Amino acid sequence: MSFQIFLILALAATATFFVIVISIGLVVHKALHSKKTQRQQNLYTEYSQQVAEVILQDLPVLPEDSTASGVFDQYEILLAPLKDKLEKMSKGKRSLNRKAVKLALIDFAKDVAGETSDRLVYFCYSLGLVDDEIKLLESKNWWDRAQAAHDLGVLKARRAVTPLAKTLEDENPDVRIQAMQSLVILGGVHSLQTILVKSRNISQWTAIELSIIVMRFKEEAVPFLIDGLKSSDQSIVLFCIEMLAEIGFVSAVESLRTMARDYPNVVIRAKAVEALGRLGDQRAEGLLVELLANPFPNLRYKAIEAVGRIGLRSALSPLEERLRAGPLHEKILAARSIAAAGPEGISLLTSIKNAENDVLRGVAHQVLEEFHIDPSLA
Amino acid sequence: MPETILIAEDQQHIRALIEYKLKNSGYAVVAVEDGVAALTKARELIPTLILLDVMMPLMTGFEVLSALKQDENTKNIPILLVTAQSKEEEVLKGLELGAEDYITKPFSPNELAARVKKVLLRHGK
Repeated sequence: MSFQIFLILALAATATFFVIVISIGLVVHKALHSKKTQRQQNLYTEYSQQVAEVILQDLPVLPEDSTASGVFDQYEILLAPLKDKLEKMSKGKRSLNRKAVKLALIDFAKDVAGETSDRLVYFCYSLGLVDDEIKLLESKNWWDRAQAAHDLGVLKARRAVTPLAKTLEDENPDVRIQAMQSLVILGGVHSLQTILVKSRNISQWTAIELSIIVMRFKEEAVPFLIDGLKSSDQSIVLFCIEMLAEIGFVSAVESLRTMARDYPNVVIRAKAVEALGRLGDQRAEGLLVELLANPFPNLRYKAIEAVGRIGLRSALSPLEERLRAGPLHEKILAARSIAAAGPEGISLLTSIKNAENDVLRGVAHQVLEEFHIDPSLA
Repeated sequence: MPETILIAEDQQHIRALIEYKLKNSGYAVVAVEDGVAALTKARELIPTLILLDVMMPLMTGFEVLSALKQDENTKNIPILLVTAQSKEEEVLKGLELGAEDYITKPFSPNELAARVKKVLLRHGK
């Protein structure tokens, strides 16, 4: 009995000991972390002031006997004290201080424009910060790569265009998105060409981010999107079709018509048909009517919806055929498109409402109601 | 005696930048980092001009602007708003509330100084 009590007491004492040790460890860790954070904050404050001074100082007059000329030499004179200060530090301290300088410069880069911005970009190159960020694009941590891709855009580092273009093939989607955004900052709408050529298997999330970029340019993006239709990657082709329909620029009609008619992949043909319906251009009408009889159901369904969206009266006859011959889903789609064609379509549906076939009658009744036409009065 | 300019901006680096630029342009500068401090300092100092960031903790720039315009002692102080890029609604709201002018980020510090000078000239300073 006494041995059992001893054992319990010993276990309790051991557990208490470990709890105390772990608690002390946590407290020490937190204190050290807090100290490190405070130190970084202090360094950031210090360098914010210094960087503000350096980027705002009047440009120095170059000595008469100086062989140097041009604004970059004047920038170097301004930067010299900061460079010297960093140079004299030990390796570890220099790394910490360079990080603070980099953070301050990146923050300033987000908010300043004009000559101040040019000066700041030069400082980043001269201090080697741009090269550091380019190296980080190959870091094994995805978050470091994403941050570097983002920062290179903020720093307007044109040297980074090629490495960023390579980063479009990164395995991580967040890194790829950051690279896209930075490339657009650096190259404007023309970057879309590289982005659409290099990107592969874009996820829905990436497509959303990319669409935000595209919509910033709208019509300007159309030639690049038309070019993107030639991509061998299905996700890019689908994205370009969607964007062309969204922007609604008629110069895309010819390319979309060709895709809807001849593209080897039916999913993409169906998407092109949908886009043609959204664009509503007359040049696509003949093809859309023709596709109402296509043997691929999905393609046919999209064509039915497209002619309904445009409200094509010339499609009434083939639509009626689909209404009579198609499965229930197709019947409903066809009836809606018939109704969308206007009074002639409504009249056709009304006559079908009195048909002997129960299903046909039901579909016509439902669609007339959807169009706010009282089936009993029609 | 230099004109006193109050800067209300929560981002430390921007505060440092504007402070440095305006001091170099010959103004006396007081900088605060939130809306409440901005209101307190404005009432205490009655500065010649206030540079007011729209997005600030504790009280937004709009709230500060509105409070200052309702106060007999501060209603005539010209206020220059600092807004984020392409936020048209912010600009319109600020101007409606009585701001004198605005500047959008990213901005050129030289342009900022020029705008400050212009606003002060308009007020006979």
